[in-house]
Amino acid sequence: MRQEIGTYILKIHPLFLVALGGVLAIDLLTLYSVNPYLAMKQGIWELVGLFVAGGILMVPYTLLVKNARLIYGIVLGLLFVVVLFGHQSHGARRWIGVGWFQIQPSEFMILALILFLTGSLLRNGKDVPLTLGLFAGGALAAVLPAILIARQPDLGTAVELMIIFSVYILLKGIPSRILTISLIGGLAFFPIAWELLWTHLHEFQKDRIRAFVDPASDPSGMGYHTIQSIVAVGSGGWFGQGLSGATQVHYQFLPGAQTDFVFAVFTEEWGFAGALLFLTLMAYLVWFAARTALESRDPAAFYLASGVTGFFLFGFLINALMVLGVLPVVGVPMPLMSYGGSAMIVALGSLALLLNIRFYAKR
Amino acid sequence: MALDSRSLKRTLLGTPRARFRGLILLFWVGLSVVVIRLYVVEVIKHSHYLALARENIVKSTPIPPLRGEITDRHGVVLVHNGPEFALFEVPGEVRSPREIGWVASDLGVPVARLLRSTRSLGFVLPSHVPVPLLAGLSMAQVGRVNMDLYRLPGFFIQIMPKRIYPENNLAAHLLGYVGSFTPGDLKSSLYRHLPPGTGVGKSGIEKEYDSYLQGTPGMRRQLVNSHGIMIKSLREKPPGEGQSLRLTIDIRLQTVAERMLGDRRGAVVALDPRNGELLALASHPSYSSGELSQAMSTARWNELVHAPDHPLTNRATQGLYPPGSVFKIVTTLSGLQENKLDPDKSFRCGGTFRVGSVIFHDWKKGGHGTLHLHRAIEQSCDIFFYTLGMRLGPDAIARVARDFGLGQKTGIDLPAELSGVVPDRRWKRKYLHAPWYPGETPPMAIGQGYLTVTPLEMARLMGAVAMDGRMSHPHLRLGKSKTSLTPVGFPQKDFTLVKADLRDVVAAPHGTGHPVNLPFFAIAGKTGTAQVVSNRGPNKNKKRPKADSWFVGFGPFDSPRIVVAVLIENGGDGGDVAGPVAREVFRMYYVTHAAELTPPPPPPAAPLRPGGGSL
Repeated sequence: MRQEIGTYILKIHPLFLVALGGVLAIDLLTLYSVNPYLAMKQGIWELVGLFVAGGILMVPYTLLVKNARLIYGIVLGLLFVVVLFGHQSHGARRWIGVGWFQIQPSEFMILALILFLTGSLLRNGKDVPLTLGLFAGGALAAVLPAILIARQPDLGTAVELMIIFSVYILLKGIPSRILTISLIGGLAFFPIAWELLWTHLHEFQKDRIRAFVDPASDPSGMGYHTIQSIVAVGSGGWFGQGLSGATQVHYQFLPGAQTDFVFAVFTEEWGFAGALLFLTLMAYLVWFAARTALESRDPAAFYLASGVTGFFLFGFLINALMVLGVLPVVGVPMPLMSYGGSAMIVALGSLALLLNIRFYAKR
Repeated sequence: MALDSRSLKRTLLGTPRARFRGLILLFWVGLSVVVIRLYVVEVIKHSHYLALARENIVKSTPIPPLRGEITDRHGVVLVHNGPEFALFEVPGEVRSPREIGWVASDLGVPVARLLRSTRSLGFVLPSHVPVPLLAGLSMAQVGRVNMDLYRLPGFFIQIMPKRIYPENNLAAHLLGYVGSFTPGDLKSSLYRHLPPGTGVGKSGIEKEYDSYLQGTPGMRRQLVNSHGIMIKSLREKPPGEGQSLRLTIDIRLQTVAERMLGDRRGAVVALDPRNGELLALASHPSYSSGELSQAMSTARWNELVHAPDHPLTNRATQGLYPPGSVFKIVTTLSGLQENKLDPDKSFRCGGTFRVGSVIFHDWKKGGHGTLHLHRAIEQSCDIFFYTLGMRLGPDAIARVARDFGLGQKTGIDLPAELSGVVPDRRWKRKYLHAPWYPGETPPMAIGQGYLTVTPLEMARLMGAVAMDGRMSHPHLRLGKSKTSLTPVGFPQKDFTLVKADLRDVVAAPHGTGHPVNLPFFAIAGKTGTAQVVSNRGPNKNKKRPKADSWFVGFGPFDSPRIVVAVLIENGGDGGDVAGPVAREVFRMYYVTHAAELTPPPPPPAAPLRPGGGSL
């Protein structure tokens, strides 16, 4: 069985492996230029992620979808554990674990939510129409962890959860009546909702939104991230400043260089040409995910692959546009690229799901 | 493919798969946005952002330039530079307003003093520009502050050039002083490129030739990280030293002039009438250029500004005084010009002169008896000039006075020169809105009344007389100024006549200027004892103020090389008080120029000239 999967992947999807390997190598190289120690740790996480991916390949996706509620429940439980006993770092309570082996359950919630929503939209493997109860259940399943995560605070991951939920609702389609009613209702309640949201946002989150409106208003203050990120990207030029010439990174002008702004680092070092290569590899992976969804007959496979596609597509686009100053700094990491063990495991795991679908759906 | 709205709706929005394709379409749109934006930022605006990145890591600190030195005409240094420690603040990098309090306690100075510095410049400059807080730190202060600097990133100590005036108070009014520029100075393009804390000229030569002395600031460039920690030093642009300035002043004459003034209020001007070079320009009471060039307390500054004897005023160029009898030269020349004075006609001085119901007295009780012009100048007979003045009228006298530059600035290269007043009928109507009364003419004829002059104006006037009607342009910068003479346009014989009279003022034993007489140096000149309405200095015992003393003269008589004008405020008799001051300046001139002034011994074969010298 294991060999079967291995030969299947090598034979049918060598290009996918090349793209994935390329992105992982770029990731290590970029993190190495920021801090060699980080690159080493990320390398270990990549290996762990590949093992997890291998594990996911062993289990047919149908089994995963069947047990979606269980998986979702476990991860949600872990989120509560984080709230109660989580490890605090940089003012945020996101981690649980021992020593340097810390995991972020919030990242795993992404995978869990994809599985859960896929499972809840199906009955006996058949697509069911969207009912109000189904909608409310799905919404609750997304909003509850999103609130817990947003309060960690980790706005980026919360936003990702809401996006995944939206992708599923989009795919199911909302009856035009409900859409109209909720649109009018939403507009009517928007000021109240905004007020509630605004008062519950952390100060740095508010600052980021303010900064997005006018990044130049206070270059050393809240718009600092955006400005330094654009300066880093812009100083790259056609072929970049090279590993040692990237001053924005080396002289620590770019905060979060290894996490949210790792794409800016890579672009400063490798220029427009390097960025195009990276974008091509990432676009291939998204395209691969999209093909997986479109080619699968099984609704479960379709929804599962669509969820993964949505996760990759929006994570990638939002992060890139944030780095380029088009979107506000919401803290959505670049999949497969930003430093972080849990995020790497989830990204590799979700890619493994795609292969899993392709392998098992064929049979 | 037929794309009516219904089929479009079906294909795009009908099924989950169709909607998923829509999502993919969104991805391609988003990806193109990313690529276009990347291209714009990274390729089109590359140089802009590269410059910003460079700006991030390169910290440029301006290095203040060294001001040029100022020397006297023989190269003796009057002003040069030395180092001092100064504390700076970068307002944008100060994290807490309490920090300045720590710094103040380290320095042992009140916080208010430091705050004053920040508030004056810190409010108008961008917050990343360092503002000088305190200069002239002692080693103890430097040591104490230095220990705390590691936790005060907004403060630093820098070595700054300091102006040193080695002759201490010598020629203070002339040299002026420097100071940190004020927010008001920033409006001038002359100062905009200078780093704060650089001294700029505030008065005197330092101000007049500021752009010349200033130099150009250099730039120290360092690679820094985001915490401002230096990583390495880049090549720096050294500051351009200001050009040095050579003055026409002769420090020996200046020293004598100031020493002779002593603690009396007054001014001495020594001028070379042949080219307008000022050899000495002294004013007392004075101040210390060194003290004023440092940061000083408000109390001390107010003390200087409000002192009753006005130490900050340069009396030589800014002091306005009635010229007294010295002005009789002008009246005489006016009389000769108007053909209303016959030098050989004798005149009877009875000691009083009557205009309407007003009676004017001569300075000598009982008068001088019968005399003619020569004796009238020599003994400064007032009645003679009252009579002459009445015959001429104010307008004729004023015209000649103006021909000799009175009432006009001399154009000396010092800031804020003042000019005296030459009154006439038009002047009085315009400024006092009253007609000219006949009783006002006699005082004017002897240099009193509305008439005022500066000592410098009088020196120039005497220089013009000495040079037979060719007027010089007084200046202080050697070599680069106008040295040609401007003819006044009077006949030669008038000057010959007047000069002979002036010679006897000094040479004749009963001449009013006889105290000035030197046996080896032929001096000619005129004394003045100008009545003043009020005392200019502190008047403790409320006595009637003493007259201002004047002596203005030139020498040597045959070929004038130096004019000396001396004024002593409330000094009393001109010859006795101002005269000796002038004499010592002349003596020093003779001593330092003996080789040029003594004619080479004539060959033994030649017969001796009768009379030897002009004595």
